[in-house]
Amino acid sequence: MSVLETRELIIDVPGRVSGRALSLRIEPGQRWGILGPNGAGKTTLLHTLAGLRAPRSGQVLLDGKPLSQWRRRQVAQRLAVVFQERQDGFPATVLETALIGRHPFLPPWRMETAADLEQARNALRLLDLSHLEPRLVSTLSGGERQRLALATALAQQPALWLADEPTNHLDLHHQVAVMRLLEQQSQQGAGLCLCLHDLNLAARWCDRVLLLYPDGELCHGPADAMLILEALEKLYRQRLMVTEINGTRVFLPG
Amino acid sequence: MPGVDAPARAYPWTALWVLVLAGVLAMALAVAVGSVPLGAADLWAVFTGGGNELQRDLIWSLRAPRALAAFATGGLLALAGALMQVLLRNPLADPYVLGLSGGAAVGALGAMLLGAGAVLVSGSAFAGALLSTLLVFGLARGGGSWTPTRLLLTGVVVAAGWSAVISFLLTMSPAERLPGMLYWLMGDLSHAGAPGWAWLVLVVAVAAMLPLGRPLNVLARGPLQAAALGVAVRPLETSVYVLASLVTAVAVTTAGSVGFVGLIVPHLLRLVLGNDQRLILPASALAGGILLTLADTLARILLAPQQLPVGVITALLGVPVFLFLLYRSR
Amino acid sequence: MVARMGQWTVFMVLIALLPLAAMAAPRCVEDDVGREVCLERPAQRIVALSPGAVELLFSAGAGEQVVGAVSFSDEPPAARKVPRVGSYKRLDLEAILALKPDLVIAWRSGNPAAQIEQLERLGLTVYYSEPVRFEMIGTTLERFSRLAGTEQLGEPVAEQFRAGIDALRQRHGDAKPVTVFYQVWEEPLMTVNDRHLISEAIRLCGGVNVFGGLPALTPRIGREAVLGADPEVIIAGGMGEDNPAWLDPWREFGSLTAVRRDNLFFVPPSTLQRPTPRMLEGTRRLCKHLEQARARR
Repeated sequence: MSVLETRELIIDVPGRVSGRALSLRIEPGQRWGILGPNGAGKTTLLHTLAGLRAPRSGQVLLDGKPLSQWRRRQVAQRLAVVFQERQDGFPATVLETALIGRHPFLPPWRMETAADLEQARNALRLLDLSHLEPRLVSTLSGGERQRLALATALAQQPALWLADEPTNHLDLHHQVAVMRLLEQQSQQGAGLCLCLHDLNLAARWCDRVLLLYPDGELCHGPADAMLILEALEKLYRQRLMVTEINGTRVFLPG
Repeated sequence: MPGVDAPARAYPWTALWVLVLAGVLAMALAVAVGSVPLGAADLWAVFTGGGNELQRDLIWSLRAPRALAAFATGGLLALAGALMQVLLRNPLADPYVLGLSGGAAVGALGAMLLGAGAVLVSGSAFAGALLSTLLVFGLARGGGSWTPTRLLLTGVVVAAGWSAVISFLLTMSPAERLPGMLYWLMGDLSHAGAPGWAWLVLVVAVAAMLPLGRPLNVLARGPLQAAALGVAVRPLETSVYVLASLVTAVAVTTAGSVGFVGLIVPHLLRLVLGNDQRLILPASALAGGILLTLADTLARILLAPQQLPVGVITALLGVPVFLFLLYRSR
Repeated sequence: MVARMGQWTVFMVLIALLPLAAMAAPRCVEDDVGREVCLERPAQRIVALSPGAVELLFSAGAGEQVVGAVSFSDEPPAARKVPRVGSYKRLDLEAILALKPDLVIAWRSGNPAAQIEQLERLGLTVYYSEPVRFEMIGTTLERFSRLAGTEQLGEPVAEQFRAGIDALRQRHGDAKPVTVFYQVWEEPLMTVNDRHLISEAIRLCGGVNVFGGLPALTPRIGREAVLGADPEVIIAGGMGEDNPAWLDPWREFGSLTAVRRDNLFFVPPSTLQRPTPRMLEGTRRLCKHLEQARARR
């Protein structure tokens, strides 16, 4: 299992002052939720954590070694990224798309093995996409594409998940199914780091929370300690109401 | 929903074998027909070392080298087109989109205007192609890094610049030089001499591309996704760009700027075979070779003994077939 | 005596007045599209819109009067000093107008028709020239000299040309036929059909153009077609006046009769490919080569 750590990290949001440096560790089994209003830098942070974007200063370390010293292929064997936006300029089927999750594990000359195919099919099954295997991605609905992106990451069998709005476009049933799946992953030892815009998903599924402010300020800690009405109202500059259902806090705009 | 399912590709390798077979048949046809009719018995005699001198000249000195040159050129162009389309993630890209053929044409026409011989014209075309490649790449990089969109835009503008220079050269040329220049611009294989180089480059390029097939599949999902899946995006893009440019330069040097092969062949194959680059790249090389071999055969015999430029035939064949498949595929 | 002197004087006066009379009467000729072209007085400022027309004007003795020519008008050498008015396919109309020509020699199949029509609308006198037969070269020389008032210089040249061609015809016209392939250009490989002046030269020498029946005037063909036709003689022009390099590629084809008998001949292209009096020289060479070929049978 792998650990992702940041040391004095300042992400590079063009035109913004540096703000507070971030030092945190995403340990196996932890479920981090990143919360913040639009433009706070959630996606930028996620990409920086994935090593897809250089930080302004500070370091991101994977298993104690700076990310920049890893080969991309080895990073991809440990860490999966679910992007918010996707490009599909060229036609590809659902199964092919899930199969590219196996790419980091295959030597250049090797075709996918039966085991790879099995893993991709399994991921599709877990995300309720088996019946769409031969379909072209371009014919899928937004929610189906979102689940396909998660299935591709699942086929990667990552020790760390970096997911940008994993429940985007999903109906309520699939939102719960996806969060449950991610929870299972964390119970099996994977570390999760999810950008979320739905407070209630964070409250229900995350055990650690990072609040990102538009001015570069931030704070993080256990979910219970962070999801305080006053802090969240300041974060979103929006009056909120809170109630509790079955032991879980539920936030509503006031 | 009919038509939504991707084409069946249970037997991807079967497709390659079918193309190899079709390639052999196309070559056989190209060797068998011409403005001088040869019967099956004559052909057999020549192939078994017999036949009279005329028949041997026709087959071994004229038809076979030309068919080989056509096949290699078509293969190179289609391969370059397939690569450019993935690189730029734009299905409209073709081997010439980055101004490469324009640079080659300026080199070739300039040499023709000065009355240079075939070797110098080819060398000059090759130099022009490489110059254009470096120019586009250098300009697209600018101060920072290049993106496919920037590269595409730079290429299109540089190509427009070349075409103005081409018009200028055509205007300045004496009347008797014009047919040669126009044939070069439309693509013409009648003076594609030794096809050995083109074949060598084709085989090496396909071999070099095979291990890049899967990374290119991933790259087709966008550079961020590719990087997240462990692809070293920038080195891959740069090597694909360099390779596609070299391949195109060799093709253009062999046969002038033959149009449509590089655009249409990879598309046709995608419509039929799906979009796995490991299959599409070698299949493009084969199908491009087949298309150009057949087109050149038609160019030789359609109005025989008069000859047409092969570029006219590739366009006349390729455009309707392409439009038809596109219309059917929605 | 006085009477005789008187007669003599009258005669001399009449002789002296003859050119004046000629100047006063309009000079009319028919051009190559069948229109009548008339000038009030001999042309003093001629603009010629094809290299061939420039050369013909010089041959007709009207070189002094040529004030404008198109690019590549390089024969005779004096023509190179004539101011340029664009290329034959893109004319500089302003430059032509500025020269105030009293006669424009247009090239029917070469110049842009719209530009020539515009010149006519602007009031210029246009003669369309298209000499596509030997006969028309002589005629054109006569007409040009008539329009320029240089008959004394031009008509002998026309006569000499006709006589030369007639001599060749008499000498070779009944000779045994020789099949000939004439190569106009190398890349792409091009020849001529029987409507072309070069093919007339070949016929005159007793040759038969193997591609004479093709529909295009200068058809583009493949090497294979030449191998199939197997001509007895291959004649090529080339890049420049003394560069027979185009003949070399043929030597590798031992199946060709022309190669086996070494009947590969070079004729300087400007002496066959331009419809000017120099065609006499080119045709003489052509006839000599065909004689050589007959001797090698």
